[in-house]
Amino acid sequence: MKNATLILAFCSLVTSVHAQRFVTREAQISFLSETPLEDIRAESKEASAIFDAATGQLAFQLPILSFHFPKALMEEHFNENYMESEQFPKASFRGVVAGLDPEKEGAQPVTATGALEMHGVSQERTIEGTMVRDGDGWIVEAQFEVACEDHNIDIPKVVTENIAEIIGVTLRAELKLK
Amino acid sequence: MRKTKGALACVLMGLLSSSACWAQDDLMDFFGEDEGPTVVTSAFKAGRIINVQSPETSGEGEMNFIIAHRFGRLSDGWYDLFGLDNAQMRMGLDYGITDRIQVGVARSTFGKTLEGNIKWRFLEQMKGGGSPVSLTGYSVAMRDGLRLPPDGPERRGVHRMSYVHQLVVTRKWSPEFSLAVIPSLVHRNLVDQPDRPNDVSTMGMGFRYKLNRRMSVNGEYHYLLPRPIEDGLHNSLSLGLDIETGGHVFQLHVTNSRGMFERAFLAETPGRWQDGDLYFGFNINRVFQVR
Repeated sequence: MKNATLILAFCSLVTSVHAQRFVTREAQISFLSETPLEDIRAESKEASAIFDAATGQLAFQLPILSFHFPKALMEEHFNENYMESEQFPKASFRGVVAGLDPEKEGAQPVTATGALEMHGVSQERTIEGTMVRDGDGWIVEAQFEVACEDHNIDIPKVVTENIAEIIGVTLRAELKLK
Repeated sequence: MRKTKGALACVLMGLLSSSACWAQDDLMDFFGEDEGPTVVTSAFKAGRIINVQSPETSGEGEMNFIIAHRFGRLSDGWYDLFGLDNAQMRMGLDYGITDRIQVGVARSTFGKTLEGNIKWRFLEQMKGGGSPVSLTGYSVAMRDGLRLPPDGPERRGVHRMSYVHQLVVTRKWSPEFSLAVIPSLVHRNLVDQPDRPNDVSTMGMGFRYKLNRRMSVNGEYHYLLPRPIEDGLHNSLSLGLDIETGGHVFQLHVTNSRGMFERAFLAETPGRWQDGDLYFGFNINRVFQVR
């Protein structure tokens, strides 16, 4: 009998955890490579994100092929020569949010610490951003930089004037209660 | 009874201790659900494997300028610097109306031939459900521009025309290896010898093997039908290397076909590899974004 109660209690804990999940499949992630010669921008609106308010876990996943460029050749080079998208089809971040007060209204500065993986290389990162309570969801925004070298993305000498070594990434996700 | 309790407690302990892990795994389950089919791109680097069409087209609003040379016979030796003293040239422009439909014009010094062509990749290869191959249709109209000898038979403009239609069936087996099967139909309004047929077909194959991110080995072979083929004509075989440098693709190759438009290399290849009738050549592809 005692055991049954325990199991019940456990189950209810599980459900309560479930009830605090916020998700989206339309997070926007864009990047900018800035050099004096050329600015290259690309955007994806197909990233997925999930935030678990109970544990503070935050995860993003992004299909690399969903990045679109203004020029077809840029997109081909990005996928074929730099990201090797067939071999490494996804980028992801798996981390835990710190500094968030779930009850507070308005924008809150937060940090997320975890593993940023792209091009098959995982880096431990702490990324600063903001989170805003939005009805029964959350809006997550962040800007951070990624060094190509950190993820083994090789930029040959001949194109260093066209492609930046450090890429600026902007993300915005409107998470809804699952 | 006691035993059962103990076992149950063990299971519960196990469940609880793994709950942190479990939450993480479950979060990841959410991502597993979004695996939709994706288009397989870049089976080949350039619009041509060597001579023949690959499934690749110019992107929307892209103008691809192709300048190609085939030098003289390698077997001509030092006197012609192994053929480098003589070059046949083809200049072409391919424009992408959409990412999958391309139109082009070109001019070859070989036969002073002018051509207009259209290419449409109407089916994409998909990963995770969908078509296992891509299908690309290509049609080209060629006009022979050579001056006619004054004492020859009378010819009207229509006699100068020939046409080729082909289907490029491609599968990218791995990021490195792509294979294409290319059946073609060649129609000539007028043939230069009375015993030659107006219609010839070929069955071709082409491949690309990537050596690294910027270089690949390419090859193609076209088997002439109907058999037996006429004297003095042979199947076309070409082997080459693609080198990609940012905005350019350089294609260097050796082939027994000197003409660079479809009728010439598919149906009218006079030389053979084993006789040393080999031509060194290159294609340079340069892309301009015009719209």
